[in-house]
Amino acid sequence: MISLAGRDILHAPGRFILTGLGLGLLIGVTFTMAGVYRGMVDDAKVLLNNSGADLWVVQKDTLGPYAESSSIHDDIYRGILGMPGVAQAANVTYLTMQVQNGRADVRAMVVGFTGGEPGEPGYLIAGRRVTRSHYEAVADVNSGFALGDRIGIRRHDYTVVGLTRRMVSSGGDPMVFIPLKDAQEAQFLKDNDAIVNERARTSANPTLNRPGVPGLLDAIEASQTSNHNVNAVLVRVADGHAPGTVAQEILRWKHLQVYTRDQMEHILVAKLIATASKQIGMFLVILTIVSAAIVAFIIYTMTLGKIREIAVLKLIGTHNRTIASMILQQALGLGLIGFSIGKIAATIWGPAFPRYVLLEPGDAVRGFAIVMIVCVLASTLAIRAALKVDPATAIGG
Amino acid sequence: METGVGIRIDGLSKRYGEGATAVDALTDVSLWVAPGEVVGLVGPSGSGKTTLLKCLGAVIEPTSGRMTLGGDVIYDKGWKIPDLRVLRRDRIGFIFQAPYLIPFLDVTDNVALLPMLAGRPNAEARARALELLQALDVAHRAQALPAELSGGEQQRVSIARALANRPPVILADEPTAPLDSERGLAVIQILHQMATQYHTAIIVVTHDENIIPTFKRIYRIRDGRTVEEAGEGRETPLAAGSRVG
Amino acid sequence: MARMKMSLRIPRQVWFAVFGVALLLALAWVATKSGPLAPTRVTVARVVVGDVAPALFGIGTVDAQRAYLIGPTSAGRVRRVLVDVGDTVTAGQLLAEMDPVDLDSRVTSTVAAASRGRSAEETAAAQVRDARSRRDLATAEARRYVELGRQGVVAQSIVDAAEQAQQSAEAQVAAAEAALAGARKDMARLDADLGGAEQQRANIRLCAPVNGVVTSRDAEPGSTVIAGQPVLKLNDPRSVWVTVRLDQGRSTGLIVGLRTDVTLRSDPRHSHAGAVVRVEPTSDSVTEERLARVAFDRIPPGVSTGEMAEVTLHLPTISRVLTISNASLRYRGAQSGVWLHADGHLRFVPVTTGAEDLDGRVQILNGLREGDSVVVYSERDLTDASRITVVTSLGGKGK
Repeated sequence: MISLAGRDILHAPGRFILTGLGLGLLIGVTFTMAGVYRGMVDDAKVLLNNSGADLWVVQKDTLGPYAESSSIHDDIYRGILGMPGVAQAANVTYLTMQVQNGRADVRAMVVGFTGGEPGEPGYLIAGRRVTRSHYEAVADVNSGFALGDRIGIRRHDYTVVGLTRRMVSSGGDPMVFIPLKDAQEAQFLKDNDAIVNERARTSANPTLNRPGVPGLLDAIEASQTSNHNVNAVLVRVADGHAPGTVAQEILRWKHLQVYTRDQMEHILVAKLIATASKQIGMFLVILTIVSAAIVAFIIYTMTLGKIREIAVLKLIGTHNRTIASMILQQALGLGLIGFSIGKIAATIWGPAFPRYVLLEPGDAVRGFAIVMIVCVLASTLAIRAALKVDPATAIGG
Repeated sequence: METGVGIRIDGLSKRYGEGATAVDALTDVSLWVAPGEVVGLVGPSGSGKTTLLKCLGAVIEPTSGRMTLGGDVIYDKGWKIPDLRVLRRDRIGFIFQAPYLIPFLDVTDNVALLPMLAGRPNAEARARALELLQALDVAHRAQALPAELSGGEQQRVSIARALANRPPVILADEPTAPLDSERGLAVIQILHQMATQYHTAIIVVTHDENIIPTFKRIYRIRDGRTVEEAGEGRETPLAAGSRVG
Repeated sequence: MARMKMSLRIPRQVWFAVFGVALLLALAWVATKSGPLAPTRVTVARVVVGDVAPALFGIGTVDAQRAYLIGPTSAGRVRRVLVDVGDTVTAGQLLAEMDPVDLDSRVTSTVAAASRGRSAEETAAAQVRDARSRRDLATAEARRYVELGRQGVVAQSIVDAAEQAQQSAEAQVAAAEAALAGARKDMARLDADLGGAEQQRANIRLCAPVNGVVTSRDAEPGSTVIAGQPVLKLNDPRSVWVTVRLDQGRSTGLIVGLRTDVTLRSDPRHSHAGAVVRVEPTSDSVTEERLARVAFDRIPPGVSTGEMAEVTLHLPTISRVLTISNASLRYRGAQSGVWLHADGHLRFVPVTTGAEDLDGRVQILNGLREGDSVVVYSERDLTDASRITVVTSLGGKGK
């Protein structure tokens, strides 16, 4: 027996392939959306992995430092460092803000880190690590900065000395790493006008500006313009100790909150990404329905175009199931082309997306199964129409 | 009286609808065709010849009567054959008003399709197809697609298809309608040839005055009733074996 | 004719087959070359023997070594201010004056008291002279009467009377001398009072203690200031230096005498040579910084105190040691190390690092040998099981 489906397609391959192409692009978009979701989860995982921390110590009753803002004193880390099981403890600050590069500005997460401690990027793709204690930066390539660029963060300019990759916030913003003290200042100090305004208010306050106590006003202004807060302390647990146990120890301080890696992942994925993942889930459903509709429409049209041939075939003795199988095979063939083109397209245009698109092999397999199922379901419309054809219409037409 | 195997119907009736609005398309129709014989079924449009053809082709169920095909009773107040599709495939050949070839199969496969549907291996089916195409003098177009053939060539291919499973009966529905007189006669001549060569009973439904004289026997149908007539049995001008088209 | 028709149809099937094969190949390429299955790209470099020129870096502010607050020693009202910010002054120059208030009258009364005291002293001195002359007379008379008495010329009672007169005269001398001494002491007191009052009046004159430049004018004529509150601030522009803050963790090797380069925020294109002149014995425990003072070899013209500066302190060069780029350093827990690339495999090798220069060359003390190939840049974090492919660059744009 010859393949009726194959012959029919070969007879007019252009339309079939073009539809496959269109379907493929739609499927590619679907894959990309799923990839965006996976990328977001990966962003979160990568964020946690790249920090090099086993524990995050943050302000009590907050989900910080990523999901919520958290503020703790910068000398707390000393006490944590002295606790059993703690190998390293380092201050870290995070602030999402605009970073100037020439005329343009880029939205980035500015991270304040201490060299050699958790919080520093683990690997570079160009340049070197920061060697000076101020005004040098390591940036993620997604920011668009190049080695040697002078970028502006708040009041100072920083030289980009190193570039890294996959260092992004859970919101997809590229990270820029600067020395901790500079980051503390950036997080706190406002622009010149605000500072001048603040000074004027303080001077105008008679309880603060006492003539009988020279130097009081200066001391107050100095304390106003200094920042001794950080957003979190990153802790690396020593070998042989369980992070959970060390976390319990720190929690007993009562005025701090501690999260292990698993807890942080849950916070990021379940809470931070929850809304976005619902949106993406809806998009996937809609795109699947649209793809099914397209397949159904095309196969239905192809079948309607063959109604007379189907009547003749039925009359001369072709099984209903042979005809149904022909239609089904065409639908599956369309799905195969669409899947292949979709997967290839998604891989090719994935890197061009502003967010990280992660396409997993498991997703490709699942996607293939879904495409095939959708094609089977979509072909039922055409199959029903074909089965309803009365062979008698071939006679006397 | 019939001699040998062929097709025969007795007292066939077909009524559409019920009660006051019922329409009797066929009333008490009887006819028979012997193997190798080509019989004409002549009548104006609306006379019921299409309905009769559909009953003969086992695509609609008569209301009453008896049908015998190749010695087997296929209908006697109810279908006696479990699978009508198989009946149509193996035992009835169809030639339509238009060739109705499958446009995406080449000529050989169009003809070979029937034996393949009957379960024959592809090589054997194609061999048989080629044989028929040669007999109908279109073998030189064996690889072409139907769209590349002339009308006459397509018609001959459809005849080959009808013969592919060596059915005992072939039903031809206005086979000469789209053709001019010369080609029409040529087709009828081919049908006569094939009927003799393959021992097939052929019923040709037609109202083409050009070819009616070629039948030795004619059934006239009017208002759902048939009357047997003797035909002129005129030989076609090209009966001497030359081919046109 | 049949052959021609055949050749027309085959291309279509061939095209379809070509399309199908191309699709499969593309699918296979996509599966292996990208996504999580693809190998990680890395760049490698050799461990080389070279020099490391370590340096320390800190930011600082330009300060004056010595700053002078010029103000009154007691509360008063400012009468006039003679200089303004930016003026150069010489030592002793009058800069401002406070309102003398009652100080003038106090001085006048003290002067009057002093002159009265002087008169009292003179009176006492005259009385002493007078008493002395009387005593001399009485002494001579007594001597004469004693002689006469011995001769028996006069009665003993007259001799006694003459001796008694002499003693009385001596006593008067003593008294007069005592009075004189008292008057002199009084005089000293009044002189001291006068000196004090004059000193106080002198203090309303605010003079420059050294040559310098006025940096601040804090009170205008008519305003009241208390003791200790400055009216003007002065500093010596030749005593300008930079107070540098260095991270405690990155200040190894900080000693007096290190050569420095100072870049001022106001003039980022030039750097000024200098040296560390003092390392502060107290560090800042809150900011965890050490402080050092850096003096300019030549003070840049137009420098202002309070200006931000970036200071690089040059430590002695370390020659001929194993060096790698600090981008190669990776951390496993607190252990630093590198990924050694040998025979196509990766192995994490712990290393101890020594000095590091500001361009990122790090001295390796142990763990590696010259010529070892180590991973410098990588697309991802590496593990023992990572599949890698070595490329020349990872595309990070550079200048």
